[in-house]
Amino acid sequence: MKSVLILALLWCLVPRSAMAQDEDSLRVAVKGFVDTYHALRTEQPNNWMSSRSRVRGEVTIEKGHAGAFVTANLVHNAILKDRSGFQLREAYAYYSDNHWDVRAGQQIITWGVADALRLTDIISPMDYTEFLAQDYDDIRMPVGSLRLRYSRQKWSLEAVAIPVSTFFNLPTDNENPWSVGPIPIGPEPSHKAYNMEYGSRLMVFLSGIDFSFSALHTWNKQPVLCNGVGEYRRMTMLGADASVPMGKFVVRGEVAEYFDELQTGGARAASTNALIGIDWYAGNDWTLSAQYAHKYVALGQHRNTGLSTLRISKELLHNTLALQTFAYIDVTNGGVFNRLSADYALNDQLHAIVGYDLFHADSGMFDVYKKNSELFIKLKYSF
Amino acid sequence: MKKIVIVALLAMVNGAWSMANAQQLTGRDVIQKVKDRPDGDTRYGELELVLKKKNGTTRQRKVTSWAMDEGKDTKKMMFFTYPGDVKGTGFLTWDYDQIGKEDAKWLYLPAMKKTRRISGSSSKTDYFMGTDFTYDDMGQRHVDEDKHKLLREENRNGHKCWVVESVPVDKHEVYSRKVSWIRQDCLIADHVEYYDKLNKLHRVLTIQEVKKIQGFWTILKMEMKNVQTEHSTTITVKNSQYGVKVDKALFTVAKLEKGL
Repeated sequence: MKSVLILALLWCLVPRSAMAQDEDSLRVAVKGFVDTYHALRTEQPNNWMSSRSRVRGEVTIEKGHAGAFVTANLVHNAILKDRSGFQLREAYAYYSDNHWDVRAGQQIITWGVADALRLTDIISPMDYTEFLAQDYDDIRMPVGSLRLRYSRQKWSLEAVAIPVSTFFNLPTDNENPWSVGPIPIGPEPSHKAYNMEYGSRLMVFLSGIDFSFSALHTWNKQPVLCNGVGEYRRMTMLGADASVPMGKFVVRGEVAEYFDELQTGGARAASTNALIGIDWYAGNDWTLSAQYAHKYVALGQHRNTGLSTLRISKELLHNTLALQTFAYIDVTNGGVFNRLSADYALNDQLHAIVGYDLFHADSGMFDVYKKNSELFIKLKYSF
Repeated sequence: MKKIVIVALLAMVNGAWSMANAQQLTGRDVIQKVKDRPDGDTRYGELELVLKKKNGTTRQRKVTSWAMDEGKDTKKMMFFTYPGDVKGTGFLTWDYDQIGKEDAKWLYLPAMKKTRRISGSSSKTDYFMGTDFTYDDMGQRHVDEDKHKLLREENRNGHKCWVVESVPVDKHEVYSRKVSWIRQDCLIADHVEYYDKLNKLHRVLTIQEVKKIQGFWTILKMEMKNVQTEHSTTITVKNSQYGVKVDKALFTVAKLEKGL
């Protein structure tokens, strides 16, 4: 079976265009890439932090209103051997007409307007195998789910059901340079109907504002330490978000109340999460984006935490060269993770990317990675 | 002889009528005529953009787009189909005719599985995906965003043209003025010159192929050249269709996320 899947993935490498647009004919669309990524620690012991190559294939098969989407990786990972091999990512069937869109299967679901921060966007968990030093689409994990969406011109209503939850992938193996330590993780919830996740989101799109309201009965997807063991518990999220364009700026806001959230130590308490962000489309291919997210927990001594992000990007040479810096700033503890990168298009298909991941922290969420600053290089061929 | 005199007389009358007609026309009238040129209520097209550097190396972009008029407003959906790294990236735009009303724009990034509301006004003067066309050049500029002046009438490339100078009202535009040669037969520019802030010729647009498709005059090929850097972009329009059967539901965020 595995070899059939690998052959199918290799078949994806043969470039072909989408077939005729006739609604009743079978359409097959293929895209993907081959990339190789290598990162070297710039602090002692100057070892390789990552060394991996992969083929990514994405196939859409569609006839009439129904279709299927499959995306998968074939990976060789020289550092994390157990990450080599075939990895099925998304695989779902869908039905889509002018108003209904139904998707069933393994899929990534994104909610909210925050950029690289999770407030209402807590359905698809995160794969922290290499922390945040991966492409964002590799960090998001698909979940086996049913998503039903009904859309009119200015609004959409979405309902999701996740029979079996998927949880964060945390590196606890000491061989992994990104290990968070040998933390025992408790059992995941039993695969019973009453443990399923379900929720809904209403989105409204108007000429001067987008906004949405969301509700989700879910779990804390990232294990919380209780007596030295990472645990999962039920919680309910109620959220809202909005985006307001104002000339060259877009102001974004998001709030989420987590009811009965599991806190470190095992107590349960509500938390209030709020984010404000601003994007500045400054012209001449400059984009600046800043966000601040605050979390208030109605329990304990350290009730307030803050996390901020800053993104600055500039495109040069007729969009041949893209420069970007993206920083997470742990406001509470003073830590920083900053990814600086330069992406040069050698031609239409081939990109060369070099960059530097800087970690600086004495405590807080980045402390465990304070010696993980790294220089990376990546080559990516897209087809 | 009598026949010749009659013909000459008719020609004089016709010439006098044309002069009077030309005198009545203003630059704004010409640009309004261009804007009002019939182009159907719905449109579909596949665009190939070839970016050419001074040294001759080229890069390519391919885009598929749909548009629908709703009164004086226009809704557009556009997806990149080439190269692979941007394939599937989509733009949804609701262009409002009302001056001062900001367009609504959304960008869908398939790798992020996310739609972003983006600024409706800032990108107008930015260059579209590294080409020599600004977002404004690719869309329809409101007539009163420039002050227009009809300079003269003249023949260019065998076509009778109105020559109109347009000066932007907003001094932050990328050009200080542009001069357009508008073909009188099809109300499409034959040639446009864009001048920079120092009033030096900056970019030149040349319409290379125009054809009537389904009764509507259509640009099939055009080149924008930056004469200062000698970088140029050629756009070839393929499979252009009018009156396509599209539902209003196509121009929604849900369809943007669904993709092609």
